[in-house]
Amino acid sequence: MSDPTASDPNRVWSTGLTEPESQELHRHLIQGTQIFGVIAAFAHLLAYIYSPWLK
Amino acid sequence: MIYGKIWLHVKPGVGIPVFLGAVAVSSFAVHVALVTNTTWVKRFLNGGTGAKAAMVEQAPVAMVPDPGTTVLVAASPQASK
Repeated sequence: MSDPTASDPNRVWSTGLTEPESQELHRHLIQGTQIFGVIAAFAHLLAYIYSPWLK
Repeated sequence: MIYGKIWLHVKPGVGIPVFLGAVAVSSFAVHVALVTNTTWVKRFLNGGTGAKAAMVEQAPVAMVPDPGTTVLVAASPQASK
């Protein structure tokens, strides 16, 4: 007998996505957030060096 | 990936704009607060002498008396020995 709590990768949920699609979308979102974070950190480093900020 | 199944319950058409909008609004609010609550940001962004003045503004300034004023310095007798 199959486990009813196990997720079916082919099941289409109410948002219209399957679990692998949701995981893939989330992976892209996390990657975009990381890239944004690195660029923002670099921008803050430049602001710290070249502006009176925190001096 | 942790929380990867969120998009099975939250529609991406709603969740992603809310997420990106929250990032945009909060970061914008922080920068507006900086411009309105400090004096040096405006001067720095204006450039020219204002930028240098903004840099110097934070430096400690030695106390220099105005010309013509008398400065009284108290000294104890033991200090002169």
